[in-house]
Amino acid sequence: MGDLPEAPALLALARDVLVNDLLPLLPAERRLDARLVANCIAIAEREAAADLAADTIFRELEFFYKRERPSPSRFAGASLSRNAGEGPKRSEGGEGAEHSEAGESAPELMYRLARELRIGAFENSPEREARARAILWRLTIARLRLANPRFLAANGFA
Amino acid sequence: MAGTQSPRSDPAAGPAADDDRRAALARFLAEASGAAACEITGLAPLSGGSIQENWGLDANFSGGRLAGEQRLVLRAAAMTGVPSSLDRLQEFAVLQAAFAAGVTVPEPLFASADPAVFGKPFLVMRRAAGSAAGHRITREPALDPGLPRIAERLGQELARIHAIRPPRPDLGFLTPPEKTGPAPQIAGFRAYLDHQPAPRPVLEWGMRWLETHLPAPLPPVLCHHDFRTGNYLLDGPSLTGILDWEFAGWGDPHEDIGWFCSKGWRFARLDREAGGIAERARFYRGYEGQSGTIIDPARVHFWEVLASVRWAVIALQQSERHISGGERSLDLALTGRRAGECELEILMLLDPGGCPANA
Repeated sequence: MGDLPEAPALLALARDVLVNDLLPLLPAERRLDARLVANCIAIAEREAAADLAADTIFRELEFFYKRERPSPSRFAGASLSRNAGEGPKRSEGGEGAEHSEAGESAPELMYRLARELRIGAFENSPEREARARAILWRLTIARLRLANPRFLAANGFA
Repeated sequence: MAGTQSPRSDPAAGPAADDDRRAALARFLAEASGAAACEITGLAPLSGGSIQENWGLDANFSGGRLAGEQRLVLRAAAMTGVPSSLDRLQEFAVLQAAFAAGVTVPEPLFASADPAVFGKPFLVMRRAAGSAAGHRITREPALDPGLPRIAERLGQELARIHAIRPPRPDLGFLTPPEKTGPAPQIAGFRAYLDHQPAPRPVLEWGMRWLETHLPAPLPPVLCHHDFRTGNYLLDGPSLTGILDWEFAGWGDPHEDIGWFCSKGWRFARLDREAGGIAERARFYRGYEGQSGTIIDPARVHFWEVLASVRWAVIALQQSERHISGGERSLDLALTGRRAGECELEILMLLDPGGCPANA
């Protein structure tokens, strides 16, 4: 839609100029800063190209909540405020008793997942617990693909 | 805590203020050391330590207990204090206790809270030679052969720290152990995350595991609470000092062991579980030999999970210093993204092999 080259290509070019053309001209004590700048550009590059991954996780979260049946343990939400303040906030009201048929947004669903994990809401259902864990893995791997793919590879994840 | 930091000048101090400050500091040093006079020949920010401000301080003492040329470090609070860290006078008392217990630390010399001397509270210690840069220590081929021995020595050093136990009236300012255990720490992490702009489901999941697996309390010992690669000085193959005592407090000895071994502090060598410098067994051997106690692997595992949660929270706090704390820094800005690395480690520790095939 926008002008060409698009943001990811533009950022890739900027990083290339920085690392290959400018960095060698810098005094040694400023090269670390230039490398940090290059790292910032690389992250921005990957994030600019990453809407797809976020969509996938959102769809999975929606699926996770649409298909669920409330389990008794999910009403244990009261313990959350007893233990640690208010809990991750955003979608007020629902402490796990209702489904996401109201069409919660991606951030709202993520808050809900965080809140429910805090109180162990899935611990009575091995099946839901396993699915929640799979979402955590996907979320983390998607996040690191953007933030630090080298760390991911160093830990044996493609 | 992460990486190095460029030297920065004090925005409040122009050249004239700088001269005044040097003069006040010189008077303080002369009086505190019993010297007839003290001339400051160098005062410049040192890199490293993104929470405290460290200054290289060279001074020439005329008489007194430090007579002659001395290379010192002045340590003061940086612009934004990190909650729950000790102030400089308290850190000075902890350093004195560690020094007396035979821990390899730069000798603590003086401390003052008088704002007329340096504008803020500070402590002065001897300057140990060497470098603490974790990336260099874990990468430098010349250092490699000596690192297992360093790991064993660090185990011994840590055991000496842990031999400091309450009651200690000189450390009476430290928070009582029942308020520093894992449960209050988890409560603190949650309270922090509740005010973050985005939820962190993996951290929530990890903290839930922690709170349902709390180990029975052990008699408390003095924990360094930031004992890890990047916080000790190596001069070539020699250990010259354990640094950065601002988080010291009472705790479970396995807490420091888990922190030292946690993946967040292995720098370039994730495969070397003891601080990126050696196998875990070598570090444990030093610790067990010196302390006469056996390390409990299940407790270390618990504290390693907690270490990853703690590192993630620190990473978020560091980036917040850039985002809303008025400290413009690429290093700080980038540190927040390291929280994702901690989250991967939490998953790997608690659900090994659990990554779905299509993740």
